[in-house]
Amino acid sequence: MTDTRRLILDRLRKHAIAGDTSYPAYSHPHAGISDLRRSFQSVIESVGGECRYVADLEAARKVISGSEILTAAKTICSHVKEVAEGNFDAEAKSDAHQCADVDLTIVRGALGVAENGAVWVNADPLRHRALLFLSENLILVIEGRDIVPDMESAYARIDFTRLRSGYFISGPSKTADIEQCLVIGAHGAKSVLVLVVG
Amino acid sequence: MKSHARLAAAFLKQEKRAHWHDQALWYVREKRDRMAASVPDWEALRETAQAIKRHALANLPRYLEEFEQNAAARGAIVHYALDPAEHNRIVLEVLKSKNARLVAKSKSMLSEECGLNEFLERNGVEVVETDLAERIIQLAGERPSHIVLPSIHIRKEEVGEIFHEHLGTEKGESDPTRLTRAARTHLREKFLAAQAGISGVNFAVAETGAVVICTNEGNADLGNSLPDLYIAVMGVEKVIPKTKDLGVFLRLLSRSATGQPISAYTSHLLGPRPGQEMHIVIVDNGRSEILQRERFYKAAFCIRCGACLNTCPVYRRSGGHSYNYVIPGPIGTILAMHRDLKKYKDMPYASTLCGSCTAVCPVKIDIHRQIVLWRNEVVEAGHLGRAKSAALKTATLGMKRTRLFRLGGWTVRKLLRSLPPFVFNNRLTIWGRSRDLPKMPAQSFRAEYRAHSKSKTNLSESGLNREGRS
Ligand code: SF4
Repeated sequence: MTDTRRLILDRLRKHAIAGDTSYPAYSHPHAGISDLRRSFQSVIESVGGECRYVADLEAARKVISGSEILTAAKTICSHVKEVAEGNFDAEAKSDAHQCADVDLTIVRGALGVAENGAVWVNADPLRHRALLFLSENLILVIEGRDIVPDMESAYARIDFTRLRSGYFISGPSKTADIEQCLVIGAHGAKSVLVLVVG
Repeated sequence: MKSHARLAAAFLKQEKRAHWHDQALWYVREKRDRMAASVPDWEALRETAQAIKRHALANLPRYLEEFEQNAAARGAIVHYALDPAEHNRIVLEVLKSKNARLVAKSKSMLSEECGLNEFLERNGVEVVETDLAERIIQLAGERPSHIVLPSIHIRKEEVGEIFHEHLGTEKGESDPTRLTRAARTHLREKFLAAQAGISGVNFAVAETGAVVICTNEGNADLGNSLPDLYIAVMGVEKVIPKTKDLGVFLRLLSRSATGQPISAYTSHLLGPRPGQEMHIVIVDNGRSEILQRERFYKAAFCIRCGACLNTCPVYRRSGGHSYNYVIPGPIGTILAMHRDLKKYKDMPYASTLCGSCTAVCPVKIDIHRQIVLWRNEVVEAGHLGRAKSAALKTATLGMKRTRLFRLGGWTVRKLLRSLPPFVFNNRLTIWGRSRDLPKMPAQSFRAEYRAHSKSKTNLSESGLNREGRS
C-alpha cells in the first residue's frame, strides 16, 4: 500500500496543468434575496417540505401537538423536550437498529439556508445519527436568527474542528428514478417540517 | 462490439421510447437552466469552480496527503489503489476482515468503473444497490445508462415487471409511488441486515478530512450510519482544499445535475461513528495520466453532474447504452479515449460538436473541443475506417488546390441536380441513409461573393438579401 501511495503521488506531481494555478480569491454571495425568511420557506415548500414560523418554543409546542404527524405517530423520539415529550428514548438504546421503527424524530438544526432550504444538523449530540434517516418523519427546530442567505455564509459559520458528522437536510427524502415521476419518501423521512422559532 | 451508430439505430427503432427519453432529459436540462438563472453569480461560480479544480489538481499530492492525515486523525483508515484490481482487492479484504457478507451499496461511478459488484459477488459477498435506479438496473442485470439517472432508459411498466419478478409486487403494477414504496420496504430490510456499507464520494475536503456525499433518497446516509463497517471509495480527483470550497461546488452540483437547489441530504463525515470502522479507498486508475496530457487534462475536473449528457442532442436521442464505455455521453467520450483509443474510436464521432456540453459544464471543461481533438488522434493513429479515410483524403486534396476545388464544386452542382435521388439515398452511402442532399445553389459562393462586393452600395440588387445569405 505504501508503494502504491508513493507511486500515485509521484505520478500526480508530473501533471500538465497550465495557466494560473494559484488558489483563487473569491466570494459569491447569493445576492438579491430580499426576504430571507420568505425565501427559506418557499424553497422548502418547493422541495416537498413544510416550514412554519412561530414566536417561541411554546408556540412551536402547540403547532406540533396539533399536527397530523404527531397524532398519527406511535413512536416519537424528541431531542427538543421543550416542544414535545416523545415516548421513545433513542439515547437509551445501545444499537441504532433498535430505532428502526421510529415514526417521528424531533431534533434541533443549527442553521437554515435561504437559497436552498437546507437545514444544518450537527448529529454529534445524538447517540445514533442513523435516527435522522430511519425516522419516517422529521421535525427540525431552528432559531429565526440562524437563517443565512447562502451556502457560503453557512459554511463560514460551521465549526468543523471537533465535528464528527453533520448534514444539510433540504426537504424530505425523494426519488424520481421511475420515469422522472417525483415520489416523496424514498429511504429517509417521508415528511420534513422545519419550525423556525423567533 | 457494435458501433455507436449501430446501437443508436437500434435504440431509435423503438420510436416512442426514444422520443420519451429525449423529452425527459430535455425537461431536466430546462430545470437546470431555470436553476442556473436564479443564481445571480452563476457564471462567476463556474469560473471559480474551475480555478479551484485547477489549483487543487495541480497540487494534488499535497492535498491528498493533507486529506489523508486529517481523515486518519479522525480515525478513518486510508488506502490507495492504483487500478481496479487493487481497489477491488482492498475492499474485499476489508469486508472479509469483518466477516461482512451483505453490503448495502450506494451509487458510485467509480465502483462501476472498477467492476466492484461482479468481483465481490464472485467472491461470495452479496452486494445490494440501494439507490432506487441502481437497484432496478441491478435486478434487470443491466448497466447504468446515465451517470446520475442510471435507469432513465427503463419505462415504468418494465420496472413493474422487474419488481413483480424479484420483489413480489402485483403483476401489472406500474404506479411509480407504489413501486417506490415496495422498494423502500425491500431495501429497508437489507439496510438493517447489512454488515457493511459502501458508497462513492462527491467531495473530500483536505482541510478537515471530511468526506461529503450527496443523495436525494437518503440511502448513502443509512448505509454509512447503520452498519459497523463503512467503506468510502473515491478517485484521487475528488479532493478539494477547503471547507469553503464546498460552498461553490454544492451550489453548482445539484442545480446542474437535476435542477434542484441542493440534494435532499448532504452528509459530512469526519471519521467513523463511535463503534464503527471507516475505510477510505483512494483510486488513481488512469487519472494521473489524464492530468499529464496537455490538451486533455481538464477532463479530470469533472464532478459527475451529468449535465453534459442531459443537454447532448446525440445522447438524448441514442441512449446511454449506445456508448460502449461505462460512462456515456460527452464526458464518457473524453474519458473513454484515455482508456482505449482503438476500442472506443467511434465515440468522438457520436457528437454534433454543437458545444452545448461545454456551455453547461459547471467546471467549464472544454468538452466539445476535446472531442474534436480526439477525432484528430483517432485519425493520426490510423483507426478511422477505410471509407471515411478515403473521403477525408479526397477532401483534403481538393481543399489544398484552388483549381481542383473549383472544378469539384462545379461538377457537384451540375451533376447532383440531374442525378436521380436514389443514387445518393441508398444503403451504401452512409451519409445519405437518413438525410437528403440540400438543394444545390445556382452558382458558387465565390461567384456570389464577387457579385455581392460589386454591388455593395445596393445590396438588394445582388439578390443576396432575398436569399437570406448576406
Ligand atoms: S463534464 Fe462537466 S457537465 Fe459533464 S458530468 Fe462532468 S462536470 Fe458535469
